[in-house]
Amino acid sequence: MTAKTRYFLVGSVLVLLAGLSIGLVAYYGGIPPNPFSFRSGPAELRYVPGDAGLVAFANVRHVMDSDLRQRLRQLEGATAEGRKEFQDHTGIDVERDIDHVVAWIGGRGGAHKPGGLVLASGRFDSSRLEGLALEHGGRVADYQGKRMIVLSKEGRGEEFAMAFLEPGIVAIGNEATVRLAIERGQRGDNALANTELMKRVEGLSGASLWAVGSFDAVSARTSLPSELRDRMPPIAWFSASGRVNGGLEATVKAEARDEQGAENLRDLVRGIVALARMQADSRPAAKPVLPIPSWSQR
Amino acid sequence: MTGAHSDPIVPAPAAHPASAPVPRPSGAPGEAPRFRSASMRVLDLSLGQMLWSRRTIFLALVVGSPLALGLLFRILSAFGVSGAMRAGGVAMGGPAIFGSMVWLLYLRFIVPVLGVFYGTALIADEVEDKTVTYLFVRPIPRSAVLVGKYLAYLVTTACVVLPSVVLLYLLVAPLGNGSLAGAFPALVKDLALLGIGLAAYGALFAFIGARFKHPLVTGLVFAFGWEQVALMLPGYLRRVTIAYYLQSLVPHSMPAGGLGSALQSLFRDAPPVWVSLAWLAGCVVVFLALAARATGCREYVLDQ
Repeated sequence: MTAKTRYFLVGSVLVLLAGLSIGLVAYYGGIPPNPFSFRSGPAELRYVPGDAGLVAFANVRHVMDSDLRQRLRQLEGATAEGRKEFQDHTGIDVERDIDHVVAWIGGRGGAHKPGGLVLASGRFDSSRLEGLALEHGGRVADYQGKRMIVLSKEGRGEEFAMAFLEPGIVAIGNEATVRLAIERGQRGDNALANTELMKRVEGLSGASLWAVGSFDAVSARTSLPSELRDRMPPIAWFSASGRVNGGLEATVKAEARDEQGAENLRDLVRGIVALARMQADSRPAAKPVLPIPSWSQR
Repeated sequence: MTGAHSDPIVPAPAAHPASAPVPRPSGAPGEAPRFRSASMRVLDLSLGQMLWSRRTIFLALVVGSPLALGLLFRILSAFGVSGAMRAGGVAMGGPAIFGSMVWLLYLRFIVPVLGVFYGTALIADEVEDKTVTYLFVRPIPRSAVLVGKYLAYLVTTACVVLPSVVLLYLLVAPLGNGSLAGAFPALVKDLALLGIGLAAYGALFAFIGARFKHPLVTGLVFAFGWEQVALMLPGYLRRVTIAYYLQSLVPHSMPAGGLGSALQSLFRDAPPVWVSLAWLAGCVVVFLALAARATGCREYVLDQ
């Protein structure tokens, strides 16, 4: 064998091994998901608990700028009054100042109760927001170096809070949960460490809207009636994503726990799709929005 | 020239046309080398010949096309053009694009094409170049020559095709909703599947090359005539194709509706995985044995 042939074979095997190693390390979550896509979920995920039952994202900028939004506005004949009023009170122009929003529910909130939080990213006038809070009887406080605005809900003993976590990122929720989010951002025990969740979140990069949830986490932290819980298909994870432009392309995924569960789920989806097709036969306009199911096995 | 049925021990020619001298297999002086050792010697000799032949340009073009396509998708994605590939009206994610490319380009085209062009040429090239004499007068079984060349074909094609699939995976799998992690199990299965496909098609076309007079035409007719027609026809005819058994091992799912649905309907009654593996393994063994037998028995008449 000549040296040229030997070099070729060694180079070929090295490419093969390097590719397999990258895939293997990615598969076991040892490297950031999708290192070649320049994004692995929004930065706000560091404030989301790792045990969150449902994490959702909305690219507000994308949705607001989309043709779909403009067409809907024309159809609705919407005016800018409501938006203007909100802007006057908060200094936030929803259409221009908010880039994207991340929200989670079902994780551990304040006082170990199931909680939820909204994290908005954009351009916020903090001094104006503080002034408005003080006008409405709120108070401004510092927690671990982060500025917080706290408003008490009259007669309910609950406190609504907004914290400026980073320049351009605010957390909105009840006070205890907002405080936990501030702590979480500094500790690192957050959603980024949940490889199962991140695998799915990373798979939705590029979508205008998405939500990922663990059915177990949601059902464990919410009081679903036992009858309903028993009848639910054995779903482990579910996700939904949408791309908005001239229209909306939506994808809903559900992962069953086992083969039997997957079969039941397939039957259920087939039934729903068949029903939808029957309905669509009498309404041709509905045909373009019929779901197209596909199955895959891990 | 008429090929001898018993292989006489004769001195090597002064100058081998391939310019690389055929090393004398190890063993006791005057003793014919064992089959395995002889096959390895032929593999060693044939590897360089196959890799640096004109056919390699063809091989590079064939294997480079999916990579160029993958690069194009990557560039389109970088410029924000999403949904470049659609199935059933739905934009395909990276894993779906990767799966479709492996299925349509590699399994259905590249693997059979490489099998035809390399497999049929294992012995035919030596006959055409009038160098078969130099191999057959060596003190090794003719079947060892064929097996050695078949192994060289496997190494050559695997070393070109498999890395290209890995590169395609790195390029395409992260597109859209996809991820490297999510597509990794499919990649591993694809690599195994392509290896099996190369082995099966290679053995079949090695037999065709050793047995038939116009092996290239016969091979092309089988791969792109018979296999395509038989797969479309209802009934049992599809079981007499290699593609039928390879398809049942394909791990990818395609969106229902449109082209994906039509393709899937062709393979709806795919056999179980173990049956397919058994059939493909059987194909490799049987066709290689038949090719070895044909090479051993056939008289190769060289044009003067």
